Amino acid sequence: MSNQPTSKDDQEEQKSKKPADTAFKQQRLPAWQPIITADTALPVFLIIGLLFIPIGIVLVVTSERVLEYDLDYTEGNCMSTTVSNTTCAKVLQNGGSSCTCDIPINLDQPFTGKVYFYYGLVNYYQNHRRYVKSRDDNQLLGKTDAVSKDCQPFQKSVNGSDYTPCGAIANSKFNDSLTLVFNGSQTVPLLNTGIAWTTDKDVKFKNPNNASTYFQNNPPPPNWKYTAWDLDKNNSDNNGYKNEDFIVWMRTAAMPAFRKLYRRLNTNSSQTFQGGLPQGNYTLKVQYNYPVINFSGRKQFIISTTSWMGGKNPFLGWAYIVVGIVCMIAFVVFFILHKTWKLQNRPPT
Amino acid sequence: MDDDTKRIITINHGPQQTKFVSNRISTSKYSILSFLPKFLFEQFRKYSNIFFLCIAVLQQIPGVSPTGRYTTAVPLSIILCCAAIKEIIEDVKRHFQDGAVNKRRVLIYRSGNWLYTTWQRVKVGDIVKVLDNEFFPADLVLLSSGEPHSICYIQTSNLDGETNLKVRQGLPQTAHMISSVQLRDLLGVIECELPNRNLYDFAGTLKLNNVAFPIPLGSDQILLRGSQLKNTAWIYGLVIYSGHDTKLMMNSSSVPFKRTNVEQVTNSQILFLLVLLLILCLFSTIAGEIWNYRNKAAHWYLGLTRLTDDKTANSIPNHFGYTFLTFFILFNNLIPISLQITIDLVKFIQAYFINWDIDMYDPETDTPASARTSNLNEELGQVKYIFSDKTGTLTKNVMIFKQCTISGIMYGSGNVAEFNSYELLKNLEYHTSSKQIREFLTLLATCHTVVPENKLNTDSFNDVAYQASSPDEYALVTAVKEMGVVFFRRTPDSVVISFRGQEETYEILNVLEFSSERKRMSVIVRSPNNEIKLYCKGADSVIMERLVADEPNVPLTMEHLESFAKDGLRTLCLAYRTLTDQEYKEWLVRHREASTAINNRNELVAEVAERIERNLILLGATGIEDKLQDQVPDSLSMLLKAGIKIWVLTGDKKETAVNIGYSCKLLSDQLLNLTLDEATLDDTQRQLREHCQTFGDSLRKENLASLIIEGKTLKYALSPSCRQDFLDLAISCKTVICCRVSPKQKAEVVELVKQSTNEITLAVGDGANDVGMIQTAHVGVGIMGREGVQAACASDYTIGQFRFLTKLLFVHGVWSYRRLCKVLLYSFYKNICLYVMELWFAFHNGFSGQILFERWTIAIYNVLFTAAPPMALGLLDRCCSAETMMRFPAIYKMSQNRSDFNIKVFWSWCLNAVYHSIILYFMSYAMLRHDVAYSNGQAGDYLLLGNMIYTYVIFVVCLKAGLESDSWTMLTHIAIWGSIASWFVFFIIYSNIWPTIPLAPEMRGMAKYVFSSMYFWFGLILIPITALLADFIYNCLQRTLYKTLMQEVQEKEVANQDPYDLVMARQTSTVSRVAERLALLKSVFVRTRTPKMSGIIPGPYHGFAFSQEEDGVVPQNQLIRTYDTNIQKPPGL
Repeated sequence: MSNQPTSKDDQEEQKSKKPADTAFKQQRLPAWQPIITADTALPVFLIIGLLFIPIGIVLVVTSERVLEYDLDYTEGNCMSTTVSNTTCAKVLQNGGSSCTCDIPINLDQPFTGKVYFYYGLVNYYQNHRRYVKSRDDNQLLGKTDAVSKDCQPFQKSVNGSDYTPCGAIANSKFNDSLTLVFNGSQTVPLLNTGIAWTTDKDVKFKNPNNASTYFQNNPPPPNWKYTAWDLDKNNSDNNGYKNEDFIVWMRTAAMPAFRKLYRRLNTNSSQTFQGGLPQGNYTLKVQYNYPVINFSGRKQFIISTTSWMGGKNPFLGWAYIVVGIVCMIAFVVFFILHKTWKLQNRPPT
Repeated sequence: MDDDTKRIITINHGPQQTKFVSNRISTSKYSILSFLPKFLFEQFRKYSNIFFLCIAVLQQIPGVSPTGRYTTAVPLSIILCCAAIKEIIEDVKRHFQDGAVNKRRVLIYRSGNWLYTTWQRVKVGDIVKVLDNEFFPADLVLLSSGEPHSICYIQTSNLDGETNLKVRQGLPQTAHMISSVQLRDLLGVIECELPNRNLYDFAGTLKLNNVAFPIPLGSDQILLRGSQLKNTAWIYGLVIYSGHDTKLMMNSSSVPFKRTNVEQVTNSQILFLLVLLLILCLFSTIAGEIWNYRNKAAHWYLGLTRLTDDKTANSIPNHFGYTFLTFFILFNNLIPISLQITIDLVKFIQAYFINWDIDMYDPETDTPASARTSNLNEELGQVKYIFSDKTGTLTKNVMIFKQCTISGIMYGSGNVAEFNSYELLKNLEYHTSSKQIREFLTLLATCHTVVPENKLNTDSFNDVAYQASSPDEYALVTAVKEMGVVFFRRTPDSVVISFRGQEETYEILNVLEFSSERKRMSVIVRSPNNEIKLYCKGADSVIMERLVADEPNVPLTMEHLESFAKDGLRTLCLAYRTLTDQEYKEWLVRHREASTAINNRNELVAEVAERIERNLILLGATGIEDKLQDQVPDSLSMLLKAGIKIWVLTGDKKETAVNIGYSCKLLSDQLLNLTLDEATLDDTQRQLREHCQTFGDSLRKENLASLIIEGKTLKYALSPSCRQDFLDLAISCKTVICCRVSPKQKAEVVELVKQSTNEITLAVGDGANDVGMIQTAHVGVGIMGREGVQAACASDYTIGQFRFLTKLLFVHGVWSYRRLCKVLLYSFYKNICLYVMELWFAFHNGFSGQILFERWTIAIYNVLFTAAPPMALGLLDRCCSAETMMRFPAIYKMSQNRSDFNIKVFWSWCLNAVYHSIILYFMSYAMLRHDVAYSNGQAGDYLLLGNMIYTYVIFVVCLKAGLESDSWTMLTHIAIWGSIASWFVFFIIYSNIWPTIPLAPEMRGMAKYVFSSMYFWFGLILIPITALLADFIYNCLQRTLYKTLMQEVQEKEVANQDPYDLVMARQTSTVSRVAERLALLKSVFVRTRTPKMSGIIPGPYHGFAFSQEEDGVVPQNQLIRTYDTNIQKPPGL
């Protein structure tokens, strides 16, 4: 803050204080001025409308071509094969640890191409904060250091050793086993690999060194009836933390109703299923281990093909169509407005 | 001796006994050491920073934060770093400016030697030598000067705004000290009052060792810092107050913190938002608790019942508290963390745009405009009242002889810059009025208080310079010198002039002084041919009364006066009479009696003067132009067109003020001109009532009326009983002129308007007398010209010329206001849009407080991905081109009524944000409801959905900035597309760092999977467009149906058409309405009032004005008798 102007004879700074005449400093940068008036908006509405409606139709058709078969096997239709007149759900509630049931499925059209099998859970909060947090990614990388406190309340067993794997997510891994039998005799060949994200499989999940002894010496989560090394005894690359069922489960779903990829159809192993699932009668053999009745959860078995987009979901297509139609309506309204407005504002002749 | 109540200064006695403050001034905020503590203190006084600090601390509680421990601390530190850099840049600037003042050089006398030193080294007790036109480095006691009787002239317009020079006179006891030898012998002590802020009073005593008794010192001996030595070769002064003790600095201290209207609205809305936030947290907590209560045991997989070692699981109230904190942390960003810094930075750079504006650069004084605070930029766009100083602001304080009329013949023209004397000189030779012309010129050369000086001691009249305390007289004497009538020598009893080459000596017999009551000055001279003549100059009203009967030239002269006055010239009438010796002798006796009278001397002298100043013969009249600053009338008319009301507050007299009113075109005969000049409270009250009643329905509306009020009346008008009426009346007028107002009154007037109208006020001035009003007004603008910069120091913006005010308001103000509003609204919008999504997600996750996005991606939302678009809006957006806004002041009215930012607009933006977030969340939710997002049958997870939504949010938010931009420059493109790109780059990198860098395991592979999903790409086309479609349609509807003036002008501009017709068409309706009202009002006023009582300026206006120091330390009479220009002046040293 200067209190008096620097008098002319001051020796310092004779330089002119004239500001530089640049486009930026003088705020004269060339600019595009988009003005949204009926004039300029009309083509926008038209283009969006003309573009979105066909896209929408394509997407709806794509979605419609996807075949999907949903089966809720939580209660009624899953009657225990051993205890008569009792649902498996009831068996589990009564303290039974396991139960099997057979459920007939009739596909009235063939599911051609690649076929995927999902299990679905409803009213299941995999996105609960305490649940999402309850894991240790370092452990899953194969590190054998003490696990993070985040895993609570499934951090360590009573004797103090860490659960392998630790945390609520791992502990609650979905453990129903679902097999499909065609025409009463032919087991549908299923693949249990290629169902997890490749990044997970390749980077995020690694077994510790000496996996078999490691898993032997450390307790599995309390809910598990076996160790992680028993998840797929046939395929060491799909065992332990690298088990794809496990990896899929560890990706916590966004919503309380979700589905997870369970198996893929193996089209190579048998002639019958080369082109997909043929039309006909199937039996779903469920080994019912997973209790959901307590929290009013539902369990589903889903057979689905996919399109180039993915699973069946017509929403996006319809949304495109609706937005497209809204734009067309806007186009018409603004066209009328534009015309009448022009008439009103025409200068008197 | 009592040191607590007085200051004791020893003279020439080594170091002072007491330590006084140094003369170094510092206005900077920080030093290197104090920076950190002071800066942090400043920052954490802001509510928002405290708020986020609390959040950062709360996040440290384990298990509470849904977003990790450092996700608030890191952005907050980044933001504080930005603020620190900004503060440092600003303070370094202040340090430099202080340095420039502190390092000015001055000559001081110390231990027997003269040496040059810097201002900051000057100490109390030092003797300094100040030369002509230099500023005083501190408050000084005048010891001696280069003029007789140690007189010196100073210009105090910086301090009190008065036009005329002031005379100061050293004590006789020190007057002889005109060389270093004598100074060395000056030994003694000065006792004076402690430093105070009273500019006009001073009390002290000088005790000299060789003088037995103490000599009183008063304000006549004081030279204040901030004033300037004029017309005096040099002075010696003794420093009594230095640095921050000077009266100037005492007065300019305590710059009030100004808070803008927009800021106030923002703050109150933030509080409201905070309440909303708390409600949201409470709702979520309760919902979460209920969910927990009902589902805790059943949802066995969550393991909630097993959480034993966790505090949050304990007692219910405890649990409730922790859950509440979780939600508080989750939702805290509904209040934008980056708001403060974004606004600060935007305003800071906006201020630079003001500084950089080449159109506001004054080449004459090499002054660019300068924003001293960046706080108030947007207020510039909403100004409704301008309070302007006159001298130095509207006028240059330079008087020029422009026109005259002699014997009914007009010379000179109002249109040319200088008086052309050809005609006059020709008539002097040949015309019948030759004799009158001769008397006219002689009068101007003799009847004054000017002192000639020939610094070079040559015989050439070209080297004669004049010293005058009256700028009018200076103009007149200089003008006649140009015509060859050179006044070149003054002795105590005579004036010597060269009348076109012929030397003539006029003996000055008597001087009848000028005073505001007499409105005239006369001298009685004995001419070379031994005639006794009385020359008189003064106001038309007093001269005309004193003329001989049947003076033939009166009507013509009056006519000419009217025309002078209309052009805003200051007029003086000139008359003379010849006295017989007898007459004079008789009068002289009476005069002597009167001037030696003990009681009522002044009245008696005036009464005697009255006796001889009659039967005058009219010579003519002069018209002096009080030079206006460049383009003042144009600028004022533009400001008026913009709906701004102009108040001129001046310390000058009514005549001068009215004169300037006319020359600035603020007053004209087209306006209803009202005056208030009552001398008592009751009369003032009555007059106010009458005026108000006459206005009737038009009161407080826009009228073509003007009001002129005297300082003494203003005093009553500001009293509680009149306040409201005065205000009503004043705001019914387009212009108000207040004359003879003190600095304090100026501030009071501003305060009154500011308080009671709730409109933005702007004060502009250049002197220290304007400091009060500059600090009181919402926005203070200082004119920084060649004179001092007291006002500039107290102001918020400084400009070199008054005319730059238009660009400052119309362009920078409007732009800044509109930009800032957009930045504010947009900052809230973008945060609400993203963070309210967590609420929607809460409905899907059992109110557990889970976040949908990765913690760091949302933590740097404000500092990276959406940091640039608000800057682009705040710095680059242009509603109309600068040229258009300057051409059509009417556009300014748009921003005046605060339509861009108010509670309604604020909440509509918030709702808009909520709407966008609903579209974004629920459409994405529906799109991925079946999880299977890939043709290979694989499903996603919560974060896949989260990252898709996040990408859509970035698109929507950045494009929304584009939608709100009126103009897209290259940088706007970079800001918008760059922000979007920055997210993609960040996303790709961030998805690939785990486990190389132990961060974000859940993000690993996200980019790959997001980008490989066709759903994502189809959603990317659909969802942002759907969200913005409503805004687009709204904008389009608004443009089609209710176009604003600004928008129409914009369209014309884009179409390269001239918007002139359009603006005019919109204006004509209001103009004609106002004009009708004026006609009605005028008729009412004329009908209901007798001219005397009406308070309307009676009759035609003749423009008399004259400036002269009255009641000064040296009376005019004595001043004239003091000088003898035959005697050589001492050189000093």
